[in-house]
Amino acid sequence: MPTEYLQQIAESNSWGAIGPELGLGILALLLLGLEILLPKVAHSVIPRIAVIGQLAILASLLWGGMSDATVGEAFGGMIRFDETGQIFRIFFLITSVFVSYLGMVSLDRKTLPQIEYFHILLVVTAALMLLAQANHFVMLFVALETATVGFYILVSYFRDTVVSLEAGLKYLIMGALSSAILLFGIVLLYGAGSNPALMGSSTDPMNFGNLSRFLSANPADTLGLLGMLLVLSGIAFKIGAFPFQIWVPDVYQGAPIPTTALLAIGSKAAGFAMLMRLVDVFSPLGDWIYPLLSALAALTILFGNLAALTQRNLKRLMGLSGVSHAGFLMLGVIASRTVEWASTAVMFYLFAYLLASIAVFAVLAHIEGTSDSELSLDDLGDLAKRNGFLGLALAVGIGSLAGIPPLAGFIGKLLIFVAAFQAEHYGLLGVAVVGVVISIYYYFGVIKAAFFEAWRFSEDEEQGEEPIPGARLGFFGKLAIVAVVAGTIIIGFYQGPLSSLLAGG
Amino acid sequence: MIGLEHYIIVSCLLFSIGFFGVLLRKNTLVIYMCLELMLNASNLALVAFSRYNGGMGGNVFVFFIITVAAAEVAVGLAIIVALFRKRQTVEVEELNTLKN
Repeated sequence: MPTEYLQQIAESNSWGAIGPELGLGILALLLLGLEILLPKVAHSVIPRIAVIGQLAILASLLWGGMSDATVGEAFGGMIRFDETGQIFRIFFLITSVFVSYLGMVSLDRKTLPQIEYFHILLVVTAALMLLAQANHFVMLFVALETATVGFYILVSYFRDTVVSLEAGLKYLIMGALSSAILLFGIVLLYGAGSNPALMGSSTDPMNFGNLSRFLSANPADTLGLLGMLLVLSGIAFKIGAFPFQIWVPDVYQGAPIPTTALLAIGSKAAGFAMLMRLVDVFSPLGDWIYPLLSALAALTILFGNLAALTQRNLKRLMGLSGVSHAGFLMLGVIASRTVEWASTAVMFYLFAYLLASIAVFAVLAHIEGTSDSELSLDDLGDLAKRNGFLGLALAVGIGSLAGIPPLAGFIGKLLIFVAAFQAEHYGLLGVAVVGVVISIYYYFGVIKAAFFEAWRFSEDEEQGEEPIPGARLGFFGKLAIVAVVAGTIIIGFYQGPLSSLLAGG
Repeated sequence: MIGLEHYIIVSCLLFSIGFFGVLLRKNTLVIYMCLELMLNASNLALVAFSRYNGGMGGNVFVFFIITVAAAEVAVGLAIIVALFRKRQTVEVEELNTLKN
């Protein structure tokens, strides 16, 4: 009997369907192997191999598409392949390609070992891709922890600086705390769902389908409600929603710039991938979840924007503005209860956020002179005059984050607001609009610092020539920045291909 | 007679001790022990649920949690040691380079 059962499960293992994740794992090991085999002078080629490998996997994902064989549950119900998961896979791979580029720029300035950074980055990306497709709490937890432990290392990667290590420690404590809370929630849900005395219980209630059936049979189960609450708190930590956002500014400031970008984009998107799946699973408890999420979203938008108002440190500013973006995204998730296309709007917003954030972080990575964690508005002084290309990239990135038409960020916000309007969340919509108005103030502070002559004391002018920012911007650096800037502008004008892809093309 | 609820009460107690330990204690190593305590509280509850409700899913999950916790400790202690070498302290109050 047991062997038949195991055979049955083994037959559902479709290894080909997780080819991209396997490919990333192999590529990650290959990088370490190359580091041993290649002579030291040739080591600079390894990060390029990483980028080329990722682009190849991305191409196979994009052009391979999905066949009918790769839709549905696999691996004994551990993984479910669907359109949403597929889009998140593409999202995480694109993020990882750009973060690799940022890593090449930032690590070049350090004497630290470099290859391990790309190795861990690839493993984290593979874990995030699996996380977005998890259909079982064991899969979800293991994938999440693989990514989180990788993040601990990436945050504290600049181990020669105290700030990076301190940010790593803070992220470690907060991340482990949130994982423990999430885990306890899973345990309570397991305990509730496996209780044979209750209707709809099953021997495997950690499977999302079984859990959803159990919850719809017992929507008022105390243990289930408590578990749901703890699981949502754990996820709120990951996306940096109020009141679990305390770690965001410190960790964003101390982490190396490529890691900050990965945290801002990848970690947040992973949180929303989980949230969107679990909101579905928990939908029988909708009367509890949605009011809770609405309150959190309103507070998140207001807190993020108000806290960012007085920030002068650029990485903290990006972190706190990221908190408010998480609030807007939550608004989309809330609207998806009644308006079906709202989840498409959330993913569109994520893509717009990806392109704009990469543009901003790429500019930050190229500004030299001060230490990574101390970059402030003053360091942007006259950026536009000193290097027009970077100035333009910064303006497009910040403009898109602020939601200036006709950039991609504007369309993203518009879609979410229309969805919220159709779902009749007028109060939340009002808060969101106030949030946008506040955000324009501090985003324009950044643009002002970069474009308009800073007022200086006369002594300052006697300082020698400042280093030209972006002097080491090679061909590929320009290509990467042009790609994100062009993407931001083109998606702003013409959403055809992306929205048809997101709508299930 | 010891029943399921006794295990769950102990598990909840352990989880609360761990949670408040993380919030209130000042020494990084003690905080780290409290985090481990929270994970082990989950392990205890999983095994108890698995035993009393039938089904092996919970027992198997425990192995995954132990593995994950080991990986987390390895990385976490490495970070704490590296930070101690730089700052000669593991008290959270003295680790305040990052702030507004």
